[in-house]
Amino acid sequence: QETISLTVASSHPTVIPWVGMIQTHFMARTDEILAEAGEYEINWNEAFGGQLYKANATLDSVEQGITDIGWVFSMLEPAKLPMSQASSYAPFTTADAALQLEVMEELFETNEAFREEWEQYNLKVLGFTGTDSYDVYTSEPISGFADLDGMKLSAPGVLGNWLRGTGANAVDGSLTSFYTDIQTGVSDGVLSLALGVLPAKIYEVAPHVTKVDMGVAFSGAIAINRDSWDMLPEPVQEAMVEAGAYYTEAHGRDLNERHAAALEKMVEAGADQGAPVEITPMSEADREAWVNAMPNIAKEWADGLEERGMPARAFMKAYIDGVRARGGEPVRAWDDEL
Amino acid sequence: MTDKDPRTSGAGTRHRPVAADARPGSRANTRASSWASGWARAWGAVVNALAAFGTALIAGLMLLICADIVARNGMGASLPLVSELGALLLVMIVCLQFGATIRADRLARAGLFLDPLRQRRPRISAALEAVFSLVGAVMIGLMAWATFGVLTTDWERREFIGTPGLGTLPTWPFRLFILLGLTVAAVEFAVRSVRSLRSAAGFSEVTR
Amino acid sequence: MTPLEIGYYAVGGLLVLIYLGMPIGIGMLGVSFLGVSLIRNDAVALRMLGAAGNDSLREYLYAVVPLFVLMGLLVTVSNVGKDTFDVFQRLLRRVMAGLGIATVFANAVFASITGISIASATVFSRVAVPEMTRHGYSKRFATGVVAGSSVLGMMIPPSLLMIVYAVLAEESVGRMFLAGIGPGLLLALVFSLTILLLASRRKALVYETPDDEVAFEDFSALDLLRKAVPILALMLVVLGGLYGGFLNPTEAGAAGAAGALVIALLRRALPVRTLWKLMVETGQITVSVLFLILAATFFSRMLALSGVPRELAALFLDSSIGPYGFLLVYLVLIVLLGCLIDSISIMLIVLPIALPVAEAAGFDLIWFGVLTVVAVEMGLLTPPFGLSVYTIKSAIDDPDLSVGDIFRGAFPFVLAMVVALAILIAFPSISTWLARL
Ligand code: NA
Ligand code: NA
Repeated sequence: QETISLTVASSHPTVIPWVGMIQTHFMARTDEILAEAGEYEINWNEAFGGQLYKANATLDSVEQGITDIGWVFSMLEPAKLPMSQASSYAPFTTADAALQLEVMEELFETNEAFREEWEQYNLKVLGFTGTDSYDVYTSEPISGFADLDGMKLSAPGVLGNWLRGTGANAVDGSLTSFYTDIQTGVSDGVLSLALGVLPAKIYEVAPHVTKVDMGVAFSGAIAINRDSWDMLPEPVQEAMVEAGAYYTEAHGRDLNERHAAALEKMVEAGADQGAPVEITPMSEADREAWVNAMPNIAKEWADGLEERGMPARAFMKAYIDGVRARGGEPVRAWDDEL
Repeated sequence: MTDKDPRTSGAGTRHRPVAADARPGSRANTRASSWASGWARAWGAVVNALAAFGTALIAGLMLLICADIVARNGMGASLPLVSELGALLLVMIVCLQFGATIRADRLARAGLFLDPLRQRRPRISAALEAVFSLVGAVMIGLMAWATFGVLTTDWERREFIGTPGLGTLPTWPFRLFILLGLTVAAVEFAVRSVRSLRSAAGFSEVTR
Repeated sequence: MTPLEIGYYAVGGLLVLIYLGMPIGIGMLGVSFLGVSLIRNDAVALRMLGAAGNDSLREYLYAVVPLFVLMGLLVTVSNVGKDTFDVFQRLLRRVMAGLGIATVFANAVFASITGISIASATVFSRVAVPEMTRHGYSKRFATGVVAGSSVLGMMIPPSLLMIVYAVLAEESVGRMFLAGIGPGLLLALVFSLTILLLASRRKALVYETPDDEVAFEDFSALDLLRKAVPILALMLVVLGGLYGGFLNPTEAGAAGAAGALVIALLRRALPVRTLWKLMVETGQITVSVLFLILAATFFSRMLALSGVPRELAALFLDSSIGPYGFLLVYLVLIVLLGCLIDSISIMLIVLPIALPVAEAAGFDLIWFGVLTVVAVEMGLLTPPFGLSVYTIKSAIDDPDLSVGDIFRGAFPFVLAMVVALAILIAFPSISTWLARL
């Protein structure tokens, strides 16, 4: 039996579900497959939680071989991975994380530009990651879409785009600042993920949950440095490909389950507070009103990339078609307006 | 910039020079040394200019953040880019002032072994200093070299901070200043190394 | 060589280089570069060096360093420290050894607007020492009190050491600041008791002339109010902003620096030359701190690749000495290092190795951080290298007063800190209850 040493790392700690699942699913499954054949064994050198690099260098670190395997956080790499941002510029397309990851997995096989965007960085993609669905959490109840006009909502980075045309102002911040921002009136609420709101206890200051189901977003991939990959014996490569697919599928399912469970837990934990947590679904009419009030951000995004010679229009169409083919129902046909 | 007011000393150990400037030499020696001191002054001006720029950026950083506080609490909207810009500016500030900090001997170090050695065996201590400065020149030089790589990839890949659709800034100008600062710091280490080497060889007194 | 062996050699090599007098940051970069070259290869080592230079400091949070340093230097030139001392002097004049205790509490209050201990040491050696000697206290005792209480500058928030710890331990800076308040007050209390004890039991040590008949400067209530307003205003901006939730730590630093600038300008304490010198000083302190952080980042990444921290965690926790044995060894090691090198360097060398062990031992990392800071701060007072003592010596510039005198004067306060450390270990809630509220 031959032992192979590999470093596996991440910018985020293992308490983040998809980072923890690198251990419990990707690594464990790889070990399991290899153990069956008994030919190879992997000695994992784990450096999770930013021991080797921070969130600002997840792509570079795999590309440069600082780690062999790592989670690449594509949402923070809009310059290097522009096509991978597509789902962030097409909100209200699907709120099903498992479905979206299936589409991305398929696109990676069928869309050469998308695959090339990743593989130009000297790496091999093994599995994919995404977010759960975005909703609106506010300190005061809102009765519908019209109420957003004039509100200040914490929506950092690309999420600011999702508020354009709604009349709401986007306030910058981060998961750690939302709580005090809302408490002190810097913002009236937040556009965020149930998986982020629950551990940060934001429901304590923003107990009115409007379930908008704005949709999930593609967030990145588990990747291995190409040089490290090329040195692996074939049976190990095969085991990792299989483990990566298993990881992606399990992660998608896990996201959907956790999202529902997180909302339930909020209601439970926030039942005794001054204003108990209550979840109100936004009406279909209001969801449509919201997405139609927005400027065509998908087109803006695609135009910018097409100018630089990237086939972003075709990719956006393929993404939304992929969602439809699996039974998803995009609220706005972003692809018809490109 | 070489002001070493110990009343507000930094994190580092402080040392006072053991002896004053180089001893007077022959006439030819003086001419040569005035030529050399002209270069030394010019180099000093470069180091100081970068540091002054960095110093101004600290004030700028303070104003930028205060403006953001006012905008957010007064008008309910944060200024775009502030946190990302502040982070990148900070790296730039450190690199721009790096050379001047080395020049003022303000990097943290322990004097436990070296200080007594300088009193008893000044030339040996100068030789040791030359080695330290040389290692500094090599390490910071390598860092600058790696930064050159970062600069070119940022340029080629059009790396930016911010969010498309809401406001972005290219990163390469920041990388350029980081590279400039690191290069000057590496050269400053090299200059110090040569100076210590001269002292070790007995051409000038040990001044540290 | 296995990666593990390379890691241990790197740690040993670094200690030797530091002892010889190499700039600590350069030593860290050097051994880390060699270490990674051997564990992986040259190309990866070069890229990691570049990443350390370009990305490791790229955090909005680090902007607090120049801002709090700038604020500390600004309040130093604008006499805010002297005013604080005057207020406490007036309030405590009837108490035994009142001036000593006034120095401690004035330091505690001044600490809440400055993040660096040397600012406190500079201010109070110029303000409190002359006043205490005028009233018959011995110089040795007076400087000892100033040295001892300057430690409060880094315990009570804002604090550069707490920021550095928070960064390394991935704790919230706001929580670490809160965690320093209780222990800071405890230290002030223990210091005051030490002074009372010395004044009643060791009179010869405390007083030069036994009967103090010199008149105190008198201030009207209005004077006191006028003196108290600037520091209270700054406390309101910094601590109020931070804990009211209006400001994150970086913003509190910027607002505080701007506020201190306004005060200095109003008091006409800032001729252009002074302002420029002060800005240059800010820059150099900032670089010396942040360059260390940069180098330590590379060092801890090299260690992570070598596997040393994991191995040490296993070694300490599985062996018979257990978690508390580890804690004791750790604190003693810090105090020993404190004799040789400065506070921030100690934290940056030791924490990358110790934090994984502390985490594996199940310690509350906020509590662990407070213990670390107290132990590290002892180094300000211990010979041969004690930064506070040297700062006081150069601020007073009195040929009759040797560095040794100041070290001896400060020694009772080192003992007081040991007692405080023991209390903090025995009662973790002093450190954690505010932070975990
Ligand atoms: Na403080
Ligand atoms: Na010491």
